[in-house]
Amino acid sequence: MKTNTNDAMRELPLNWQGDSLGRRFKKQIAFQIFVWFGLAFLLVFSYAPMFGILIAFKNYKISSGISGIFTSEWVGLRYFRELVRDYNFPNLVRNTLSISVLKLIFSFPVPIILAIMLTETRSAFMKRFVQTASYLPHFISWVIVSGMAYAFFSAETGLVNNLLISLHMIDEPLKILTDPNSFWGLAVGSAIWKEAGWWTIIFLAAIAGIDPMLYEAAEMDGAGRLKRIWHVTLPGMKAAIVSVLILSIGSILGGGLVGSNFEQVMLLGNSLNNDKSQIIQTYAFNVGLAQGRYAFAAAVDLVQSVIAVILVVSSNAIAKKVAGSSLY
Amino acid sequence: MRTTVEDRVVNVVNYILLTIVALSTLYPFYYILIASFNTGTDTAQGGLFLFPRQFTLENYKYFFSKQQWIEAFGITVLRTVVGTVAGILFTSLVAYGLAKKDLILRKFYYIAVIVAMNVSGGLITYYVILRSIHLLNTFWVYVIPSMLSLFFLLIAVSFFQEIPAELSESARIDGAGELKIFIRIILPVSLPLLATMCLFLGSGQWNSWLDSAYFVQNNHLRTLAYRMMEVINQANMPTDAQSAQYTAQAKVTSFSVQATAMIISVFPIICVYPFLQKYFVQGMMLGSVKG
Repeated sequence: MKTNTNDAMRELPLNWQGDSLGRRFKKQIAFQIFVWFGLAFLLVFSYAPMFGILIAFKNYKISSGISGIFTSEWVGLRYFRELVRDYNFPNLVRNTLSISVLKLIFSFPVPIILAIMLTETRSAFMKRFVQTASYLPHFISWVIVSGMAYAFFSAETGLVNNLLISLHMIDEPLKILTDPNSFWGLAVGSAIWKEAGWWTIIFLAAIAGIDPMLYEAAEMDGAGRLKRIWHVTLPGMKAAIVSVLILSIGSILGGGLVGSNFEQVMLLGNSLNNDKSQIIQTYAFNVGLAQGRYAFAAAVDLVQSVIAVILVVSSNAIAKKVAGSSLY
Repeated sequence: MRTTVEDRVVNVVNYILLTIVALSTLYPFYYILIASFNTGTDTAQGGLFLFPRQFTLENYKYFFSKQQWIEAFGITVLRTVVGTVAGILFTSLVAYGLAKKDLILRKFYYIAVIVAMNVSGGLITYYVILRSIHLLNTFWVYVIPSMLSLFFLLIAVSFFQEIPAELSESARIDGAGELKIFIRIILPVSLPLLATMCLFLGSGQWNSWLDSAYFVQNNHLRTLAYRMMEVINQANMPTDAQSAQYTAQAKVTSFSVQATAMIISVFPIICVYPFLQKYFVQGMMLGSVKG
């Protein structure tokens, strides 16, 4: 800043006052206004909902609008007590945690393995083809993925059931879409199908950054393909693996890397598999919008956010201890 | 390089696994495609795997004869175009402001963005806000709340800072206003950025269903993804109530219409996808550096 002022003074000695705060502000007023548009947007669509979470502690009526957030009477922890006594609550917590943790465990290694497989291919065509194919599902909506799930797994017309029955491998159709016990597998599997290919991009870039000399040296020392993968490729990916792991633990309640716990449950959950499919977020949404219990639903949302923050902070602390790197 | 036995085994196993990956990714798309060109009643018999057995265009004719599907298609195209253009322009305009090197209060603005990116008030309070500003049940609920993409805001800021200052300086000396400089000079040299944003914001708009399902009640404002969800949900019902709905059309079933709708909604994405591939890899890398 100091040198800037000096430069300006040397070049334009008559205009030296131009760098006073007020003048500088006037000169960049157009830029400031552009930013204020964005700020106004954030105020309405990000910060107002954040402050709106106050309604979790208030007797809020939707008809009272924004001002009602501040003027309605406090009820303390009433909705939180209601939630804990709710017979759904243990199920919700169990499902939220199970689906999230299962997704982390099963989906995390897939893009790493796929990236290694892609780099190990000797055929450039094969590599390009599989890459192009496996990124594609990232760009289609969960509605389509659930439509595909229906096309393949439905008990009446599903392709998989059709095939297995005609091969006499099963007698009764598998009720994959309606059996509560198959929901977690369905959620994890479909999320991997949709997103795993996409995440190979990061790991492929990490592999591309490994010094080729290391491979030559390893080969000279007599290391075969698998040994080179184990001793060169994987250690070379360590930084990428750790940072993606931290990111996905941070967003674990949303589904981690593969994401979309909420959309999946909204689309693949139904009245028959409710027991194992309903999660905290969808419960809040349904209770809030279908039954109009906005304040209660906001309290449910808040519980989820608090659990998420605890998970992020603790995973970050663990990552710092174990790997020496963290997000913050 | 010598080829050892291990090399050959690894190659073969790798080929087989990658082929399985490619097939399991692409086959669902292919199956939906043949189901959309096969008579619905025939598909329901089962055993359709590789080719349409009774080729027909009935499903597509049915699709485009139904008011609700045409309307949904129109709304989806409209929201994608308007929403994407608005998102690109607004996000990059704010980013252009933030990219100014000696911007006063810059640090404060950045903190406001980072906090908004990481903290959310949850869907319920979001809904409450949308309701109080009267955006619910209007077309604009598809456009306005998604006009600012914070992720691309940060990417665009670092992109604009790389643009040489001389480019806009000469125009500024000629007396052009900042808005004019932004439109005439900055945007045209930022095509890679705009293409990346176009792909991601566009596919987000095209695929979005939640807003149509919960923020809108007017049936004329429903999107394609919402209509599809409706059909799938009906089909998922344990009681087979949906079949009666389509008995008028002898050869069309709810599943064949659903497959057709899926193909119609995937088609534009598959069309633009190969051309934009290099941009989205770029976008992902930029994002990961930030992340």
